[in-house]
Amino acid sequence: MTTETTSAPPAAGSRTPARRRSEGSYTAHVGRPGFAWAVPATLFFLIFAIAPLVMVAVLSFMSWNGLGSPRFVGMDNWSRVLDDPVMIKSIWLTLLVTVLGVAIQTPLSILLGVWAAGQQRNRAVLSVIYFIPLLLSSTAVSVLWRALLDPNFGIPAQATWLFGDGNLFGKQASAIGVLAFVSTWQFTPFHTLIYQGAARAIPQVLYQAAEIDGAGRYRQFFHITLPQLRNSVVTSMILMIVGGLTTFETVLILTQGGPGTDTTISAYYMYQKAFKSFDFGAGAAIALVLVVAATIISLIVVRVSGYDKMRSSMEGL
Amino acid sequence: MKIRARLPRLVAGGATLALALSLSACGSGTGGGSSDDGKIHVLVYGDASNKVEKQIVATFNKTSDVKAVLDTIPGADYQQKLQTIINTPQAPDVFFNWGGGSIQPFVKADLLMPLDDFIKDDPALKSNFLPSVFNSAVVDGKAYGIPMRGTQPVLLFNNGNVLDDAGVQPPKTWDELLSTVKTLKGKGVTPIALGGGDQWPTLMWFEYVYDRVAGPELFEKALGGEKSAWESPESKKALSMLKELVDAGAFGTNFDSVKYTNGASPALVAKGKAAFELMGSWYYAQQQQDAKDFAAKGLGYTTFPAVSGGKGDQADVVGNTNNFYSVLKKTKHPEAVEKFLKLMYSDEFVKAQMAIGNLPTTTNTEKFLDTSASPAYSHFQYDLVKKAPSFQLSWDQAYPPSAITPIHQAVQQFFNGQIDADGFIKAMQALPTE
Repeated sequence: MTTETTSAPPAAGSRTPARRRSEGSYTAHVGRPGFAWAVPATLFFLIFAIAPLVMVAVLSFMSWNGLGSPRFVGMDNWSRVLDDPVMIKSIWLTLLVTVLGVAIQTPLSILLGVWAAGQQRNRAVLSVIYFIPLLLSSTAVSVLWRALLDPNFGIPAQATWLFGDGNLFGKQASAIGVLAFVSTWQFTPFHTLIYQGAARAIPQVLYQAAEIDGAGRYRQFFHITLPQLRNSVVTSMILMIVGGLTTFETVLILTQGGPGTDTTISAYYMYQKAFKSFDFGAGAAIALVLVVAATIISLIVVRVSGYDKMRSSMEGL
Repeated sequence: MKIRARLPRLVAGGATLALALSLSACGSGTGGGSSDDGKIHVLVYGDASNKVEKQIVATFNKTSDVKAVLDTIPGADYQQKLQTIINTPQAPDVFFNWGGGSIQPFVKADLLMPLDDFIKDDPALKSNFLPSVFNSAVVDGKAYGIPMRGTQPVLLFNNGNVLDDAGVQPPKTWDELLSTVKTLKGKGVTPIALGGGDQWPTLMWFEYVYDRVAGPELFEKALGGEKSAWESPESKKALSMLKELVDAGAFGTNFDSVKYTNGASPALVAKGKAAFELMGSWYYAQQQQDAKDFAAKGLGYTTFPAVSGGKGDQADVVGNTNNFYSVLKKTKHPEAVEKFLKLMYSDEFVKAQMAIGNLPTTTNTEKFLDTSASPAYSHFQYDLVKKAPSFQLSWDQAYPPSAITPIHQAVQQFFNGQIDADGFIKAMQALPTE
């Protein structure tokens, strides 16, 4: 296209080639909206995503407590944040919570989703019940579980053989366990829904053919269902990763980052710095670290999974 | 094409976070003036006490040409929201605060009006309040706040029935406390309920033990920037006493999973599963609401035990001295504001506060103590606060807001053994003092 323009004869030429060229580009772009179509979305994106991001980047080089005007302090916030053991720990914790979320929720929701896609008795009723946690706000869910897990009046008091003294929020491992459990409880229904839809879309002929070939239920699951769900797995995993990296309300309400700083994940740490300590510069720096980390992780996932060249899983059908 | 498609993904993850930060950045602007609609705006923490504030504003408006308007910010985010609006055109003329560190950043930013001129006009604006309370809103030698609600000293509450069963009395000294803990543990009762999950209830133990061992001076020094105070022998003594108490099992083993704010730790005391709880004076009203029978029959209260050989007076108290009204420098109607503040020691104000269970800290409060819903409790508290040589504002309110999280983390980590005395001392020395 560009080469054609530059090689076009100068003003001397007649009008015909120009007309032909425009006709040509018209046919080439048939069915494709022009740039104008993207203007509203692009503007929206610029105003609400790029502009704030740039402002946060600028703010990360400033000292500002919300009063008076921000003051440039060079790399001060960055050296503090990158040197801060709590920050380093919070990144690992964030990754841990994210990985735990993916590792627990993916198998659960695939199984539930595939099951819910079937035609069994009572399936519809049970699916609705499984779906309920998703309808509740994260805040409500967290308040609910905090009360249910009270060591003296909640579930642990009734099951001391399992929970011991019930000090779930007093130790790092169990506090993280609670966070993972509560997000699993809340978000598995959503991913189940994705897999249910995807499993329903798998053509029955595949299973019929497999049955004729003598494949049992397990083989059908591993050799037809799972491969067919591949694209949904990637979609659902990306959503889980983004959700995991930005986990906030559950920490705020369930553990407040404690005991000590043992569940202070990055998003919560950013909130603490910016909105509790009014150190907006450091908060902005943490936010940027999160942006970079999230970017790297999603790039890796996209590369590894081939999301960017996602193919149909039904070739030849 | 490929790059363009990837770009949104690159940014989307962080955009949400970025938004939260930058939205508040947008709101800051360049100061501006108090909104001048010919009225004074009074901003208060939105809760049940607003009833009185509404009444006082109505009284004020009856006689004043410049009318007052009451604005409220409900919920626990008051300080956050206040800090984001105080330097904008939406800033109020007069606002509610906790004195001490909660207003220090505003004083440093030169936003507040020292009330010395008001006091010169009308000395009662100072002399009509209990000094230990009034002084907690003094920053750098200047008064910035007028007490406007009730005082909330921290007291040691107990379940009298549990104590009777175990044959013990509320402890008067630290040694008695330790032996009481032992006895109660032997009876299978958690000696002391602690909402460690909220962190600030744990801090109350530090405040009292430090005061009893070292006197109020140690903390004043540390707050003033003399960080070596945290390494002093008194500081180490206080920490070893706290450690001894925790190790003796005084709080049980799962206190970090218990919260005060969801009613779990008061329920432990009300149901007889625990004997004591150290808590602000609002505990009394809380128990009356949550466990009426217990509040009427078993709920007892005492001062914090004395420590023999300690430098602190056993009559010292800690807690929330009161809430305060502070005035913005840029208010357009200082005369009206002064007139409004004078109502904070009026009989009407005191009576209205008493009626809703608050205990004001004016000198005329004494006259009305018998009109309160629980006169014995009101007398006890008032005498305590009036006679206290020192009323230490809670540490997390005496320090500027940036220190709150580190303080809370340090006390929690010390109680659950994640850091030792040296770790705690280091954490406290790292606190920003301004």
